[in-house]
Amino acid sequence: MEHGVATFAQGLISPAMIAAWTLVAVALFALAILMYVAIRSRTRRLDLEKAVQAFRSLDIDAFRNLVDSAEDAFLRDNLPPKKFREIKRQRAWAALIYVWEAGKAATALAAIGQALKRHSDPKIAASGVPLSENAWRLRLQTIGASLHLLTEILLPDLESRSLPPLVDQYERASETLVRLGRFSSAERHSCNP
Amino acid sequence: MNWHKVLFLFLWISPHVLLGVFVVVLCKRRLYREFPCFLAYVLYEIAEFILLFTLYLFALHSVAGVTANTYAYAWSATLTFNIALRFGVIDEVCKDLFRDSQFLKLAARRSLLCVTGLLLGVGVLLAVYAPGGNSVRWFAGVLAINRGAAMVQSGLLLSLLLFSRFLGLSWRRSAFGIALGLGVLTSVYLANYALRAEFTSKAGADFLNLLTTGTYLACVSIWTGYLLTPEPEPVSLAVVSHDEVETWNTELQHLLRD
Repeated sequence: MEHGVATFAQGLISPAMIAAWTLVAVALFALAILMYVAIRSRTRRLDLEKAVQAFRSLDIDAFRNLVDSAEDAFLRDNLPPKKFREIKRQRAWAALIYVWEAGKAATALAAIGQALKRHSDPKIAASGVPLSENAWRLRLQTIGASLHLLTEILLPDLESRSLPPLVDQYERASETLVRLGRFSSAERHSCNP
Repeated sequence: MNWHKVLFLFLWISPHVLLGVFVVVLCKRRLYREFPCFLAYVLYEIAEFILLFTLYLFALHSVAGVTANTYAYAWSATLTFNIALRFGVIDEVCKDLFRDSQFLKLAARRSLLCVTGLLLGVGVLLAVYAPGGNSVRWFAGVLAINRGAAMVQSGLLLSLLLFSRFLGLSWRRSAFGIALGLGVLTSVYLANYALRAEFTSKAGADFLNLLTTGTYLACVSIWTGYLLTPEPEPVSLAVVSHDEVETWNTELQHLLRD
């Protein structure tokens, strides 16, 4: 009896069985994600205001400071190594949150651009194509920036290069959004008596 | 006839009958022009069912010398082309999703090639190190190939869905339905073939057969449901004027030039 149980247990924890059950777990995980995506795609709504707000909430000066290599060099020279690593990690983490939010806003923008392609006004519809295309590019660029910042979090002692193009991207995007926000609110005011 | 057999036959036959109706809808809506490989896949599934079901009946009544082995050989032989067609369908869905953007098409192709390479590597490693405990060597090989193919296909479809969400890409209802159905099917195939390679008991195989055929019925229902539902109305974005869109474009172009 004992021998039988031992053989059964041995069979269950053999490498082949571990591989089989791992694949079953992977398949169940994939199924769960598929269900989630299917349900979310039915309830997802485009929200221009939300996208605008997300971009506007980005404080570009604060972000510029967070990724400034001169600031990093100053901190490195004036702080004990342990304290420097701690602060560097915190700064990189904060910058990563900025990049993450910008990426999310770019995704919303791309979705809006795609919806515009189906607009009844041909001019607006035509503008939707390059709009979404540019938003996709921006989204993909945020991946590179995120990886860069993650490296800084993991290896804070590495000399880091700054992220000037991304800083400029933020600045220009937020300026655009401020203008867009003004335009939208002006339009609303003119519509509301 | 016991309830298990009745349920098994119902789950085996009904999705293929539904697939017949599905082909008619596919042709009526002229969707075969956009998804020719998917139509070929569906037709192949029906033809495969007719062949296998006939062999099953022949083997059951020992007609024309057909045995369970003949059925197993036929099932294995038809599977190769089935796997190839499923890859074709994934390619079609991918093309449809990135139809609007040449830039995204390139970026997605590169990413998906990386994902495919990675999954193929894992599949080959699994086939070498965990080939399964089936005593019939050729059948164990077939199961390992199926398991690997299901893993690659499920991974590809999942990546495609996640990639589209990540970039805010909008799916057409029909393409999304095809991807979703195939994703569910290949994920269940992955679990099924992984377990089948290890559990060789008849009861286990019967249960897995029921699970697979039941999932297949669910997937055909997903395809039919998504195909019959009309595309949603375009989202109203009256608040965005042409000038606004142009401003966005100009600014984003500035950003990307830097």
